[in-house]
Amino acid sequence: MNAIYGLFTDSDSAGQAVKALRMASSRLHIKADGIVVISPEPIEERIADLPKERTPMPWLAALGGVLGGTAGYMLATFTQRTYPLPTGGMPIVSLWPTGIVMYELTMLGAILTTLITFLITARLPNYRKQLYDPGISDGKILVGVADPDCNCRAELEQQLYQEGAQLVKEFSNRRSDVEGEGQS
Amino acid sequence: MATNSIAPANVARLSDDRISHDLLHPVFHTSRRFYLIALLLTVPILAAIGAFLYQAYAGIGVAGITRPVFWGFYITNFVFWIGISHAGTLISAILRLANAGWRRPVTRCAEAITVFALVIGASFPVIHLGRPWLFFWLIPYPSERGIWPNFRSPLLWDFFAIGTYITGSLTFLLLPIIPDWATVRDKASGWRKRIYTVLALGWRGTPREWRRLEMGMRIMAVAIIPVAVSVHTIVSWDFAMAPVPMWHSTVFGPYFVAGAIFSGIAALIIAMAFLRKFLHLEEYLKPIHFDNLGKLLLLMSLLWIYFIFAERLTVWYGNQTSEMAAFWSIQRGKFAILFWTMVFCNFLIPFPILAIKKLRTIAGTVIASVTVVIGMWIERFLIIVPPLEHKYLPYAWGNYRPTWVEITITAGTFAAMALLYLLFVKFVPIISMWEFKAGQHVPPPSPERISALSPVQPGLQSTLPATDSEA
Amino acid sequence: MAYRWGMVIDLDRCTGCEACVAACHAENNIATVGDAAAAQGRAMHWIRVERYWEGEFPNVRAWFRPIPCQQCDAAPCEPVCPTYASYHNADGLNAQVYNRCIGTRYCANACPYMGRYFNWFNPVWDKPLNLQLNPDVSVREAAVMEKCTFCIQRIKAAEIKAGMEKREIKDGEFSPACVQSCPAGAMVFGDLDNPDSEVSRLSRSVRGTKLLSEVGTFPKVTYLERESSRGDE
Repeated sequence: MNAIYGLFTDSDSAGQAVKALRMASSRLHIKADGIVVISPEPIEERIADLPKERTPMPWLAALGGVLGGTAGYMLATFTQRTYPLPTGGMPIVSLWPTGIVMYELTMLGAILTTLITFLITARLPNYRKQLYDPGISDGKILVGVADPDCNCRAELEQQLYQEGAQLVKEFSNRRSDVEGEGQS
Repeated sequence: MATNSIAPANVARLSDDRISHDLLHPVFHTSRRFYLIALLLTVPILAAIGAFLYQAYAGIGVAGITRPVFWGFYITNFVFWIGISHAGTLISAILRLANAGWRRPVTRCAEAITVFALVIGASFPVIHLGRPWLFFWLIPYPSERGIWPNFRSPLLWDFFAIGTYITGSLTFLLLPIIPDWATVRDKASGWRKRIYTVLALGWRGTPREWRRLEMGMRIMAVAIIPVAVSVHTIVSWDFAMAPVPMWHSTVFGPYFVAGAIFSGIAALIIAMAFLRKFLHLEEYLKPIHFDNLGKLLLLMSLLWIYFIFAERLTVWYGNQTSEMAAFWSIQRGKFAILFWTMVFCNFLIPFPILAIKKLRTIAGTVIASVTVVIGMWIERFLIIVPPLEHKYLPYAWGNYRPTWVEITITAGTFAAMALLYLLFVKFVPIISMWEFKAGQHVPPPSPERISALSPVQPGLQSTLPATDSEA
Repeated sequence: MAYRWGMVIDLDRCTGCEACVAACHAENNIATVGDAAAAQGRAMHWIRVERYWEGEFPNVRAWFRPIPCQQCDAAPCEPVCPTYASYHNADGLNAQVYNRCIGTRYCANACPYMGRYFNWFNPVWDKPLNLQLNPDVSVREAAVMEKCTFCIQRIKAAEIKAGMEKREIKDGEFSPACVQSCPAGAMVFGDLDNPDSEVSRLSRSVRGTKLLSEVGTFPKVTYLERESSRGDE
């Protein structure tokens, strides 16, 4: 993939840039999901024009909890019934200890599901060369356009500088174009 | 850098560059003092490992435990360290849910304490076993013997609870570290860059990643609190389920949880004080943090004295012969010195320090925290040993005297905690950089909120919160 | 054929001679632990005789209570063992399975009668005492909990013999080592479920009490209180 991006110093100017790009998207032939924003901290609330990210994580975590609880119930009751050893005059399977094991495994299920869902939906780990700039670690916000139309590159650059970009760079992870630096 | 806040002029707003530099300094630079301290800490740890191997080889009789006190120092340490591990949960999860901004520089310190205290605490059930090489029989797996563990035993509940809590705490700790590791990756070179590239998992900071990270953190914050409460409740049930005088008490669940949070906050304050001093984090761990945590510590101290009073009053009033033997031995008999030391350490000393604003300085809270940690260790000991020394049949009463094996292992675990924490500080920025910076960039509150904030307090000018998220 | 083994101990007859203790040691391969360990409380007497003094000098009396494992029906030591080393078997006994024991010692803490004993070290029998070991009983290694089993090896031997001969075990056909060795005849052993057995009859005696009955353990050892201690009703 190929991209032109600018580095902005704060979220206000970055937000302006996104807005401007969106307004000029037909003129500059920017694809619907072509505007890319990368930031050193979460800024979704502060940039109004980005598509809202939705995730089913809470539902999946709840589902994971239910699965965990079922597993706990099956573990406690099945194992105790296959090799029933009476202890202390208590029933072989009773609500209280089984309930505790079910509870813990419910929470474990929810936690593990959250972790796995996070990794999968955030698409981590991902070690391939991707659009990124080390300036982001210095606090800059990257706003750019992915796979821009060849003819509009110069205009895009100009637009980004106009909105207050400190620096405009090009990025490519295709072996054929080695031009431009996007990675250090 | 645009500061989109209306901070009064006397509040120091740190630049992102400054923050990155300060917080990454320990990761990139290792002083000679670091190596020296790490080396010194390995000595008691190696001694403890040696003592444990000796005990496993020679027989657990080399420890001081005997009939009738079948549990002693090891279980005291077990309960103590699991208690300390409640620090992270309170600070990170509850304050996160309560949207208290002052938690930002403190969360990672606390979560790290939780994880390491859990690891150390969870090692004690193995250390105290007569046949520790068979500890895996507590894991429910289909064994060739055809038998499963006994789910009716509180020790099994311990296994599940602590296992769940370790998993949750690790997740809670590691998830927000990923963006910081990405920062280290970008700034590092050579072998460091290779390691951190792998650790950062290719994190970039797209809205997709951030949204999922934040959602994950929110779910974890909600999930980890009931887990933490259940963990120490289940640990307390190791005692409450046995018909031992002064153990078989229904108050043990809440009593232990309160004590755990109490000792956890104290451990956190001590850790923060060390970090502040040795890593020069005066701009990040400010007096306001120690002040706020000191107030929480005061609250827990009051809660602790309430539980102690309630439990002892019920026993004393009930006047059951079997319980009174243990009761008097704690209050007036041979454990009296320990008992009153504990009351001093947990309440009489911390209460004035933490209640009087003038005394609730960094030094004051640290002194109170040290006494609390000592007092809480004594409390665990007094819960376990005196009742076992005085069970129902007086003919079988006995004495407990710890041997060098138990003392060495106990000392080794304290050193292990310090060493693990030291290594953590070396490899991870101890203050969450992205959260701290995000706290600095929070938009200003509306005029209505500003007037609702408490008025300026003289003497605390440099720490006056300008927004609800104080750095 | 399920039995319910129980015991009755007559405190009026017990002289405190501790022959039962010695017999138990011999029958069950229990080691002596030495002076230092015994002073520390680590002596292993599966049945112990507790001695109590009554009265002021010169009218002092000693009385004795032998305490084996009470084989409780609602034993608190059983549910707490994580590996089922302590469980309730079909004969109503609290069985201790040495191979399952990993040494958490929770059961010993839970037992209100302090009837459980732990092997702090590997037991040692100086030669030639090792020749005296009973081949019917295992030798336990370090870190394993053990306790009175009502001489389960004798119980099993009798059950097998009776099974082979297709009959029930007769009352008094066998007894544990302690019961067998008591010179005063203070101890009686048998099947509580058999209404004609002597133990069953004596356990219903008006002098019969259970130790620590308020804890709710339902022990199967009945103590016959001393006439002199029953006071004037």
